[in-house]
Amino acid sequence: MSIAIPKAIPNAIPKRRFKLSTRTRNLVLGLTFVSPWIIGFLAWTIYPLFSSLYYSFQNYDLLRPPVFIGLGNYVQFFTDKSHTPTVVYNTFYYVLLSAPLGVVSAFLLANLLNANIKGRSFFRALFFFPAIVPAMVTAYVWNFLLNVQYGAVNGALRGVGLSTIPFLTNPQLAKPSLVLIHMWAQGNAMLIFLATLQDVPRSLYEAAIVDGANTWHKFWYITIPMCTPVILFNMIMAFIGGFQNFILPWLLTGGGPNQATEFFTVYLYRNAFVYLRMGFASAMAWLLFITIVFFTVIMLKTSARWVYYGSEAY
Amino acid sequence: MDTKKLNRREFLRLGAAAAGGLALAACAPQAAPTQAPAAQQPVPTQPPAPPAAKGVALTYWPSWGNFGPVWDKLRPTDEFKQAIGNNTLEVKTGAPYEAILTAVAAGAPPDACSNYQYLDLMARGVLAPIDDLVKSSTVVKKERYFDGNWNDGFYKNVQYGVSAIEGFLRYGLNYNSKMVQDAGLDPDKPPATWDECLDWHKKLTKIEGTTMKQVGLDPYDAMGGQLAIQDGFYAPVSWGWKWFDAATGKFDVANASMAESLDVMGEFYRIAGPDNMAAMRNVEGQGGWGPSYNASVQAMIIEGYWHPGETVIQKPEVGKLNRTTWGPVPASRKGVKVQGTGGHYVIFFKDSKAVKEMFKIAEFLNSDTACKIIFENVGWLPGLKDFTAKTDPSAYPGLKFYFDSATQATEWSSPARCPITSFASQQYQELREKVFRNQMKAADAAAEFQKRLEDEWTKQGFK
Repeated sequence: MSIAIPKAIPNAIPKRRFKLSTRTRNLVLGLTFVSPWIIGFLAWTIYPLFSSLYYSFQNYDLLRPPVFIGLGNYVQFFTDKSHTPTVVYNTFYYVLLSAPLGVVSAFLLANLLNANIKGRSFFRALFFFPAIVPAMVTAYVWNFLLNVQYGAVNGALRGVGLSTIPFLTNPQLAKPSLVLIHMWAQGNAMLIFLATLQDVPRSLYEAAIVDGANTWHKFWYITIPMCTPVILFNMIMAFIGGFQNFILPWLLTGGGPNQATEFFTVYLYRNAFVYLRMGFASAMAWLLFITIVFFTVIMLKTSARWVYYGSEAY
Repeated sequence: MDTKKLNRREFLRLGAAAAGGLALAACAPQAAPTQAPAAQQPVPTQPPAPPAAKGVALTYWPSWGNFGPVWDKLRPTDEFKQAIGNNTLEVKTGAPYEAILTAVAAGAPPDACSNYQYLDLMARGVLAPIDDLVKSSTVVKKERYFDGNWNDGFYKNVQYGVSAIEGFLRYGLNYNSKMVQDAGLDPDKPPATWDECLDWHKKLTKIEGTTMKQVGLDPYDAMGGQLAIQDGFYAPVSWGWKWFDAATGKFDVANASMAESLDVMGEFYRIAGPDNMAAMRNVEGQGGWGPSYNASVQAMIIEGYWHPGETVIQKPEVGKLNRTTWGPVPASRKGVKVQGTGGHYVIFFKDSKAVKEMFKIAEFLNSDTACKIIFENVGWLPGLKDFTAKTDPSAYPGLKFYFDSATQATEWSSPARCPITSFASQQYQELREKVFRNQMKAADAAAEFQKRLEDEWTKQGFK
């Protein structure tokens, strides 16, 4: 006996629809909105990053196909007696001087601007202003200010009967002059310190006053410890910025006088676009990256000894 | 009851879909326009004219900043219109060398360029050979050009460059006759040797306190210190030796002449003060290659034929005081009159799809009309015998010297064909500074120069 199979009744059984779970839907939506950033990040950060790693093992002059040479570029850097010692010395001189001095100056400035003085908002804006001036403008302005013949600073020195100072044209003074300019542009660090200072609990200062603390005691035993996390952050950022410093030395001194300001990045750029040694320049970039990571790790590892993360004292 | 309501999630989903659709629409190629169906078309009585051939968009990058405004005068000429045809030409001046390099590396270079490191590009196979185009050209003919200008457009017997725009003689000591006279010197008896130049330099250099108000000669300024493929290298020219042999790839800079040149030329800096020289250059408007001469802060300059014309055009009141004489030589070679050829080219990139069309622009730049406009507006002369023969040597004060030197020079040079010239130039600058700052003996600097060049030659794969 055959079994009659009924014809399908329309709409009797609902069609199965492909439906994403809520979690998946949210994920897809989120990724869609963030996709422009992801695409940009992959195209303009990740791809160049790994390209430079690839080229660091090649002999590559931008114009001809790269030729694999293994660690040749890295070996060349460490064995080049004519430039490597000068470049490394200049860079460490600048970083080890500019980073701590920059952080200290920003911290002191923030403390001054945290005081209840007249026109405080105006002064805060004034001292932050250099941080938003484009680097090229900074270079031109400081070139004018420090010029030994017609600069404003030397004009003032001549006016009071002192001899002029060849800030940017004397090999011994060029690096310290760049450090000075760096200290002028500490607006960002100053702002971060200012925000931190506002967060220091007033109760600590009141308790200290009750215990007979003076201004110096309050500063040394309360303000500084409470700001140590931000000091650490700014110090790390200052080191990174110092190692990557390029625009001002390139525009102001071109690596001179007499290679006095030939920093790592300046020499890297010259290798890439003047000597047509893009492979070598890529290797230098990775060495710089490793150096920065090394210093960052050192600072983080040693921070436990001096950084205080408590937010309330008792 | 299921009420249809647009909730936030639905709204976001629709919004994302709309945004994605817009992005795709923006990226998609333009759709061909649809035609409305013709109801009744009138029957044409005459056959329609054939459509004009579609032109090509050409790009040309000459790096001179002062060459840009000249194109406003070049474009309206009949010769340019004939050369450009239906094509268009975008001229971009002032692009740095890094821009050319990255454009080539990205596979999107301009169609042609000028005033970049020609030999860097020729030696590394990124340029288009133009032998066939030159063979069929009625304008670019070997007999029209000075030998040096023609020959330097070749690399390993393949022609890559059309000599154009600027290509006359390279060396002359230019001086401001008024500044010379004010210093108690005779402008009619200019120095011929480095020693005589040094005497003039001492009298012309004025230092007030720690400020150098005026300098006699910066021997490393302009052509004196230049080491470039289009200009040559003055120290070997002056001392009379060849620093690089293209046939063998051998360098010769670790010699007594190189050491002597570093010492002698460095003495000018020691007298003025190295920091003072650097400070003078740091002032806006007192840079090298002419501005400090135009500002009457520098009394003498070793420059090419273009100096008289450029000075008159840029600073007429200084230009009229300009005089020119032979470039200085060491006392041991007194009486030797040195001169050199050099110049610029239009070079074409292999990745260009319009080399043939761009070649016509290079031909235009070799026309009498274009050369005349460039000469009158910039002060440059091409490496063309027929055009220079028609040029008035007295057009700019000091220019006549260069014309006369063409027949009076006793020693000739042309730029060495060295594909690591950029590297050589930077090492020369570094080492000469160490010498005039007394950080290195001249002989040691010469030896170090030799070592660095040989090492680099090997590393770059030119062994």
